[in-house]
Amino acid sequence: MEFGWSESQIAYRKQVQLVLEQELPDNWYPDYTHGVGSEKQIDFSRIFCAKLAEKGLLVSNWPVEYGGNDGDPWEQFILAEEMKLNGEPRGPQYMNVNWLGPTLMKYGSAEQQAKHLPPIAAGNVIWCQGYSEPSAGTDLAALQTKAVREGDKYIINGSKIWTSYAYKADWCFLLARTGSAKKDISIFLTPMTAEGINVVPMPGLVENGHLHEVFFTDVEIPVDARVGGEGKAWEIITYALSHERVGIPRYHLGRKVVNHVMAKLKSEGRSNDPGVKVAAARIVAKFEAARMLTYKVVGERAKNLPPSVNANMARLAAAEPSVDLLNFIMEHCPDALTGEDPYLETYIRSNLSSSIAAGAYEVQLNLVAQRALELPRE
Amino acid sequence: MDLELNEDQQMLVDSVERLAAPYAELSIDRRRGYHCYSAGLFAELDDAGFLDIAKTEGYSALEAALMVERLSRLPVTIEMGASSVVAPMLVNDVLPRPLVLISGDIASPQRFLPQAKAALAIYEDNVVFIEIDPSNIEVVDSILAYPYGKFISTPDLSKCSVLDNCSPQAFLTWGRIALAVEGCGTVRAAIDFTVDYVKQRRLFGKALGSFQAVQHRLAQCHTLSEGATMLAFHAAATGDPLLASLAASNVQMHIAKVAFDLHQFNGGMGMTNEHTLHFWTMRLRGLQSEFGGASKASMDAAELMWPEDSKPPMFN
Repeated sequence: MEFGWSESQIAYRKQVQLVLEQELPDNWYPDYTHGVGSEKQIDFSRIFCAKLAEKGLLVSNWPVEYGGNDGDPWEQFILAEEMKLNGEPRGPQYMNVNWLGPTLMKYGSAEQQAKHLPPIAAGNVIWCQGYSEPSAGTDLAALQTKAVREGDKYIINGSKIWTSYAYKADWCFLLARTGSAKKDISIFLTPMTAEGINVVPMPGLVENGHLHEVFFTDVEIPVDARVGGEGKAWEIITYALSHERVGIPRYHLGRKVVNHVMAKLKSEGRSNDPGVKVAAARIVAKFEAARMLTYKVVGERAKNLPPSVNANMARLAAAEPSVDLLNFIMEHCPDALTGEDPYLETYIRSNLSSSIAAGAYEVQLNLVAQRALELPRE
Repeated sequence: MDLELNEDQQMLVDSVERLAAPYAELSIDRRRGYHCYSAGLFAELDDAGFLDIAKTEGYSALEAALMVERLSRLPVTIEMGASSVVAPMLVNDVLPRPLVLISGDIASPQRFLPQAKAALAIYEDNVVFIEIDPSNIEVVDSILAYPYGKFISTPDLSKCSVLDNCSPQAFLTWGRIALAVEGCGTVRAAIDFTVDYVKQRRLFGKALGSFQAVQHRLAQCHTLSEGATMLAFHAAATGDPLLASLAASNVQMHIAKVAFDLHQFNGGMGMTNEHTLHFWTMRLRGLQSEFGGASKASMDAAELMWPEDSKPPMFN
């Protein structure tokens, strides 16, 4: 057990910070930072990620054969921390690096890898995630969208909901039912330009660009766009979700937002209040505990260990202070949601769903109870 | 960055656990009391050199912290945080032990004072050394599961010897680190004990631990415990005052939930001494106030993060 960064990790972080300094536009705050799903940010992500790719920083930890540099697995996480801290200029492409690429590397066919990994590594492709449906969110296996095989293609019918970035996405990592048993589900790499796909935005509490309905009407997808075997999605999804759960370093941004609130309160002469200070420091303490649990997961990945329950715990640990911080802001800076502080408004709106998205908080509790504590089901 | 134990650390932990194994079970007679101090275990650890591990070549305060966390899981208690984590980081000499850290009012009851040979306290801008005269110590009865005592005649700190090159901040930092790792080990044991219990205890025809209301709260306790422990080890590895305050604040604030939840799930059994839950939960209650408690630790962390004369950046 040791808690230091190696020289090469420190150097990598500095390189990333330098790119941020050089490439973010002067008006990054507040013009671009209206959420990862905003049109402006998604468009910018294509430029910015391409720059990161050019400098060998976007997927440096990937194997050389997939466009990476065989770098230290920690680099992906250092990148994520720096990006999250700075308004996530990778836009939705953070997903590509965090879980899409690794999932395709492990489960994709050679053809799928050849087709999809190079654009991800080049930083110029937007994906969305076709998981949830109106009656299948937390209970994902209840999804009803059907893929019926006809010769060398599947015909897809159904709908997805809450699909972030769908309106700008090039591809969808789509789950559809291919059999009658509950887990007869398959994954299809679906072009969003396919005939029969209709994306409808939904207004909501989170930032624009996050909530859509996506309707699939007789959408034809070739059989070779299926990832893994028919009905074999569950193992793949479990793998992808374990990467997604700790993909967003909420603790890192959280500390910056607490600093922002404290600076704001100080500028208004309200920071020198023990109640404020104690509450703020407690949030930071929880974020630092969450950081440690996340680093534990990253360490496991660096050693190529299989996904463990630590990913569920890391997510739980980060969710709680995120909610505390939201409450802290609303108690002390209520004008954040009345147009006075766009930075805080973006933070709040992008965190309102932090204990719901990527597996609800309660589902994580179930998994920890069963897998870590081995508590009985009956 | 590697949050798993390395080979040497694993060997150390294994050795400590082997030595401590005979102390893991308590006879019914020993369960009847409110605390169970083990002078025998302390002597064994001392003889084997474990209390000096932080100063042993190849090891550091982190390894001492790992040891304290493991030993805190026992139902018996010993003074080890002050002797093995704090003292070696403050002075080069080995101080008399067991050692007490006076973290609040010296006239109040102190943990381990009936066993202690010496104590450290902050006086003005210094850390001072207090030699203990056993005849000046009065045992204090308590349901808190540590041995408590207080001075019959309060020592005059102005006349105590000053520890050279030792700042009150260092005393506070290492004291909080020792407190945090001890608290984390104690929390861990209380959770493990309760998890075993709810797997066996049946009500309404099924295991108590199969109810989701119970599972969720235990999963929360477990997650809090794992995060708090890693944060405490991070603080021990760095000796950083901010991390020390955050680590102490974290474990001290979580005690409120953990102690409540675990007692709920042990029900009436947990109210009896025979059940042994109190050996951990009532130690945690004792730790809640040390070094000013979670609020003071949070305040101190806040002062380090947001000093009044600084201006952190805003981003709007």
